[in-house]
Order: sequence, then structure tokens, then C-alpha cells
Amino acid sequence: MSKGTISLIVIGVVILLLVGGALTSYNGLVQKDEAAATAWSNVQSQYQRRADLIPNLVNTVKGYAKHESGTLESVVAARAKATQLTVNADELTPEKMKQLQAAQGELSQALGRLLMITENYPELKANENFRDLQAQLEGTENRINESRRQYNEVVKNYNVGIRSFPANIVAGIFGFEKRTPFEAEAGAEKAPSVEF
Amino acid sequence: MRNLNHLAAILLLCCLLCPLSLNAEKWTAETLPMVYLQDARRHVCNPDGVLDEATVSSTDSLLTALEKDKGVQTVVVAVKQIEGGDPYEFGMLLARKHGIGSAKQNSGLIVVLATEDRAYQILTGTGLEGTLPDAICSRIERRVMVPRLKRGEWGPAISETMKAIDGYIRGDESLTAEEDGEDDRSLALEILCGLIFVGFWTFLFVALSVQQKCPKCKQAHLRVVKRQRVKISNRPGWHMCETLRCPRCGHEKVVYKEENNNNFGGGAMGPIILGGGRSSGGSFGGSFGGSFGGGMFGGGGAGGRF
Repeated sequence: MSKGTISLIVIGVVILLLVGGALTSYNGLVQKDEAAATAWSNVQSQYQRRADLIPNLVNTVKGYAKHESGTLESVVAARAKATQLTVNADELTPEKMKQLQAAQGELSQALGRLLMITENYPELKANENFRDLQAQLEGTENRINESRRQYNEVVKNYNVGIRSFPANIVAGIFGFEKRTPFEAEAGAEKAPSVEF
Repeated sequence: MRNLNHLAAILLLCCLLCPLSLNAEKWTAETLPMVYLQDARRHVCNPDGVLDEATVSSTDSLLTALEKDKGVQTVVVAVKQIEGGDPYEFGMLLARKHGIGSAKQNSGLIVVLATEDRAYQILTGTGLEGTLPDAICSRIERRVMVPRLKRGEWGPAISETMKAIDGYIRGDESLTAEEDGEDDRSLALEILCGLIFVGFWTFLFVALSVQQKCPKCKQAHLRVVKRQRVKISNRPGWHMCETLRCPRCGHEKVVYKEENNNNFGGGAMGPIILGGGRSSGGSFGGSFGGSFGGGMFGGGGAGGRF
């Protein structure tokens, strides 16, 4: 076998490996990117689910607790603020994430206060409709937490993916950018404090 | 198996007699023995003996039938205490660890009861959230489970709850028994990919090996026209008999090569590494062991304290 043929074959194999490697890491990044976008839309739909439950809850509570209009209004206001703020997965900057977390956290707190005052109304607590709503709300809070956890997991996976060699070169060429995870809450998601 | 049962019975007896058992273990998702993995007909994890034998066996057979008919994989955990005292967290960790429920339907179901933590939880897989919405889970708990739990009737609480859940699930036509078709297809695909990979290297190997100039006309390369595995007397192992022919002048040459393990032509193909999917949560312990399908839980269900 002549030297020319060997070197040709070697060059061919090297090019094949390079192209194959680039393709594999590009496809891997696309998959991770898609997974992050899907997880984000799941988070959004869970927030929406909670927002959809609130009008029903507020109406049910209103029927029993007429004197709690302040708390009820703050829930409605927080809901309006939170639903205004929907962000696409691709335009999720750290600032946007902060705003969104603040708005949703405020709604969580307002809801927490509302559920706390319902303790004072035994008739309301005995209402089947209200108890169903309460269960749905609790389940939705759990879903929100779970979807956030899953989102953070895939975002971490993606962010590690775009920074590790050699995928970082491919990420640089094709413009894959770092995604923002949820921060552990400082205040917003804390359980509402009781004031006397 | 019988010996094991005896051993288990003796251990259980020791535990019952031993005063140390008053300090019940705080179970975690890691430490909880998952009986389903040893025996696919057992769905109730009852390590502290909270439930009586009759409840365990009737619930097991109910849930085995449910899995067979509706493809709903259920795990019931009845213990005294769990780490952290939160049955929701505990159930979710269990779901994540084992991947309970099929990956296709996501129809896993977990019921947790911690009697000394006085807490309970029903967790539905994402595919069961339509069949068992949170409000329905909560109603079952309020009407069936909690009144019995308040009286300390652990056995009836669990068996009646599972019967109620069974009724809701059987009422849902959209749930179907598990089929293994998809798994077979993905396995076939993986094997195909493996074969293509091996084929590529075989091609390279062949392409490299045939580049031999014809000794007669010195014009063209000899090509392999025939290849056979043969035994040569007085020599150990198999040999490769290759017939090479010049495409230009027709000169033929026969070569014998000692076959080593790296050759692709004949027997050993080398191991094809198949990337595992999420299926098989880890079945072990004989042919009766079950395996979980890798189902997802999104946090649906309801729970509370009594």
C-alpha cells in the first residue's frame, strides 16, 4: 500500500471523526435545549393552572367570609400581576426570571394568607366544594415545585453541556446561550408570617 | 424461597419480641425494602407490620389484577415513621428512585401511610391525573381513609381506600394494559445501529486489506472474491482462506491467514453496547421479580394529616 493512500485514508477518517463529533454534540445540544424549553413551558402551564383555580376559590370564600375583602382583593391583584408576566423560554434573562419569581411569590403569599383566614370559618371548611378546591390548590403548588425542580435539572444539564469541551465550540458557533435556572427564594416563597 | 420465608418470619418474630422495635425505623426512599422488585405480585410495603396479613394479601391481589387489566403500577407503603415526616416528599423520592408506572402511560400510583407521623398521601403519575384528579383523591381520603385512620384501623383504611381507587381507575376506558411492543422496537433499532457501526468498520477493514497489487500485470489491485473460514491440519484454531483475483488480467491468488480475535469476518462480533432506556428499574431475585417502567410523577394527588 502506498504512503499516499494511507495518508488519504487517515485524513478521511480524521475528517469523518471531526464532522461526526460536531454533529453529535450539536444534536445533543439541540436535544438539551428542547428539553429545557419543554420544562419551562411545563412550569408556565402549572402557574397558569394555579391562576385558573383562583377565581373559583375567591368566589367560594367570598360566600362565607364577607369581611375579608382586603385579603381577597390582594389575592386577585397578585393573580392579575402574575398572569400578566409570561415569558418565553428563549427570552428568559436573569432579570425577567427575578421579576417572574417575585410576582409568583407574591401570589403564593397572598394565597397563603387567604387559606389561613379560612381557618376561622368552620362552615367554609366543611364545604365540600371548598375542600376540593383546597386539594386542587395544594396539588398545584406541589406541581409547581416539581416542575421547577425538573426545569432546574434540565437547565443545569444544558448549561453544563454548552460549557464542556468540545461542545462549547459548537455552542459558540451556533449561538447556544446559558439558560437561567430558578434561584432558591430569598423571602418570596417563605411561608407567610402571622401578625397580631 | 421457602427458607427465605422462614428466615423472614423468624426475623419478624425477633423484631416483634425485641423491645428495641419500639424505636421504629424512620424509613427513607433508599432504605425502604421494595417488595415488588422481588415479587411482581406484591405491591404493599409493610416493613413495620402496620397492616395485618389479610389486608396485605387482599390488597396485593387487587393491585396485581389492576396492573394486569389497566396497566396501573401501584405501590402502597404503610410504615410507622418516615424521615422528615412528609409523605409527599417521601413518595416523590420513591417515584424518582424507582420510576414507578409505565413510561408510556405514566400510570404510576403511590399511596403512603405513616401511622406515627399521622400523615397520609396519594400520589398519581402524570398519566393518572385525569383519572384521579386531586379533588377525587382528596374525597377518597376524606370519606374513606381518614375516618378509619382516626379510629386506628390501619388495615381497613388501606384496603377500602384501594378499593375506592380501583373503582375509579376501572371506570376509565382510556387506560389499557401494558404492551411491550415499543420496547421491542427500540431494541431492534439499537441492534440495527450496532450492526451499521460494525458494518462500517468491517468495510474499512476490507477496504484496507484488499489493497494488494497484482503480481502478474502490476496494473490493478487484487480484490477478494471469496473468503472462507477453514481448519488447517496440524495448526490450532481457525484460518481465513481468501481468494484474491486481479480484475484486469484475471490472475488468482489464494492466501491463508491466521484468524485472530480482531477479525470481523467470522465468529466473534464483539460486544454491542446497548444504551439502556429508563425501563427496568432493576429487577432482581428470580423470575418472579417485577420491574418498574420509568413513569413520571408531576406532583399530583392529595394528602394530609389525621
